[in-house]
Amino acid sequence: MHGWTGKILRIDLSTGKIATEALKTDLARDYIGARGLGTKYMYDEVDPTVDPLSPANKLIFASGPMTGTFAPSAGRYDVVTKGPLTGTIAASNSGGAWGPELKYAGYDMLILEGRSPKPVYLWIQDDNVEIRDAAHLWGKDVPETTETLNAETATDAKIACIGPAGENLSFIASIMNDMQRAAGRTGVGAVMGSKNLKAVVVRGTGAVTVADKTAFLAAVSKASTMIKEHPVGGTGLRLYGTNVLVNILNSVGGLPTGNFQDGHFETADKVGGETLAANQLQRPKGCFSCIISCGRATKVKHPKYKGEGEGPEYETAWGFGPDCRIDNLDAVIKANYYCNEYGLDTISMGGTVACAMELFDRGIITLEDTEGLELTFGNADAMVEAVRLAGIGQGFGKKLALGSYRLASLYGHPELSMTVKKQEMPAYDPRAVQGIGLNYATNNRGGCHVRGYTISPEVLGVPVKVDKDSIDGKAELVALFQNLTAALDSSGSCLFATFGIGAPEFAELMTALTGFAYTGDSFIEAGERIWNLERLWNLKAGLTAADDTLPPRLLSEPIVTGPSKGAVSRLPEMLPLYYGVRGWDANGVPTPEKLSALALA
Amino acid sequence: MKISYFALLRDATKKSHEVWQRPAATLRDLLRDLAAEYGPNFARWILKDGELAGYAIILVNGQDVRGLQGLDTPLSPDSDVFIFPPLAGG
Repeated sequence: MHGWTGKILRIDLSTGKIATEALKTDLARDYIGARGLGTKYMYDEVDPTVDPLSPANKLIFASGPMTGTFAPSAGRYDVVTKGPLTGTIAASNSGGAWGPELKYAGYDMLILEGRSPKPVYLWIQDDNVEIRDAAHLWGKDVPETTETLNAETATDAKIACIGPAGENLSFIASIMNDMQRAAGRTGVGAVMGSKNLKAVVVRGTGAVTVADKTAFLAAVSKASTMIKEHPVGGTGLRLYGTNVLVNILNSVGGLPTGNFQDGHFETADKVGGETLAANQLQRPKGCFSCIISCGRATKVKHPKYKGEGEGPEYETAWGFGPDCRIDNLDAVIKANYYCNEYGLDTISMGGTVACAMELFDRGIITLEDTEGLELTFGNADAMVEAVRLAGIGQGFGKKLALGSYRLASLYGHPELSMTVKKQEMPAYDPRAVQGIGLNYATNNRGGCHVRGYTISPEVLGVPVKVDKDSIDGKAELVALFQNLTAALDSSGSCLFATFGIGAPEFAELMTALTGFAYTGDSFIEAGERIWNLERLWNLKAGLTAADDTLPPRLLSEPIVTGPSKGAVSRLPEMLPLYYGVRGWDANGVPTPEKLSALALA
Repeated sequence: MKISYFALLRDATKKSHEVWQRPAATLRDLLRDLAAEYGPNFARWILKDGELAGYAIILVNGQDVRGLQGLDTPLSPDSDVFIFPPLAGG
């Protein structure tokens, strides 16, 4: 095989059995890799009703065929499992250099089963695979774990690990790789913690082979040029990072504020990408093979919040900033650092603190509940402390670590949790941008923006501008973006490559790399197959059309101030149209005809 | 009218916002004057061959001019104008 290594590493943590097996060629072609291929293996091997934190759940680290090649901005991998936060099939996508290293060690996927009787880590050097004791690492944060493991394995080994949050089975725990990159969403870190697995350390000396070197070189060159020369992909992301969106979303009235009570924050500029670039930014940072470099290496000098690390991304700055009505960027970055160090998803953490602030603001929880934390909107010190406590699982942090849905439910107010399928929504208000609300509601892993990023056409105007306030054509738009993203996630590519290239270019890369003939259409169709398989998993797990919704606030409480004042989400009008576009019945179940057309019957 | 600048445009204008006093009946008039005022480091992100550069985001009172009348969007002394160069995030 080319592109794929053709080999899977399978480890039973209960018994210590280590085995390899061949990757099935037809599955690789049809499900591509990473998110898609991992989901296919989960679908075939794991009962969707499984308890996510039980030994019967599996945890799959999966790279894509393009991972580890020099295709531009295509060095990613996915963690695929049943997510404890959502109860859905989960695939959390991360960059850095860990995914390529897994390929160089010779594996497309690592499938982990069972539960180790004691804390362990994996040390994978090409064919040499060891399960090692991790008693000395348990309780350590991500930087200390990473440094210790680099010292006792190899200085250039790549490390994916959990922090205390994953060990404590926080439903919003991430898996961190390369110290600062996160497989953040859906609580995958808790699954790793439930398996008593602290880290996966990889060092590889192999390579990824290419079917047609000349054609691949030409396709890479073309794609790189298109990304570099694109006004959006080539310049702004490197200079300002994703956080430049704070001012854009605020200017159109789509910046969720105060736990989505409003869509506009008067002092948003203070936490935006421009302010970050002028103050805390040290340098841009890119993942493996990236030519965009949207990552932010930052430093905070303020004595109260000082530190060094990476971030914030836009979602993070929003979550700890405007969503908590906080405009102190130093505090926001400190909260980001805590998340990276303790292994927490910044979006869910920010959304959970914002929810707690609304509960506090309304008198539903008191200082007694929060053990002295004065969680008023705008209280930056309390926000930072709340994140720290959630990270280490102490005090009120134990409840925050459950995520906002379970937190708000504990106090009888689940409607104040701004979640879809129990996962916190990101930084775009569905009342101000209609398509993104449909994407949130129908997303296979709950509140998530990246799997159907309609913000690109609806707000940025890329590739073409569509009316953000209209519902016309949004069902088709959302389905198309969801399908394309499912395919490119599965290839190992970064979503941001789409700011320069599209399905035809991905198909050219995939064809030259793998030797299988992909077209733009067949690449998107693979994405549609993956999307439908994820849907089938979720239906079998017990989710229904009733879960394809938004918090009631967004359907009935208009935005209060700013340019989108008065807007509500028109999801109920869009959802039936979306089911129709998808080829699903009125209950959101894929029809036999659709499944047959996608070779899923 | 009030004009707010973002990202690279702040490098060109050396400011994040200003109150613009010169009369401008349409966005075309305003951008022509701003291009003259702030030079090519401003204009190259916003205008191409005399038309709006495709990915620049210009809002008048919170509405994207690509959904209004583009360069012919009317302005008044009370207009609140936001100008972004081509940008992305996620």
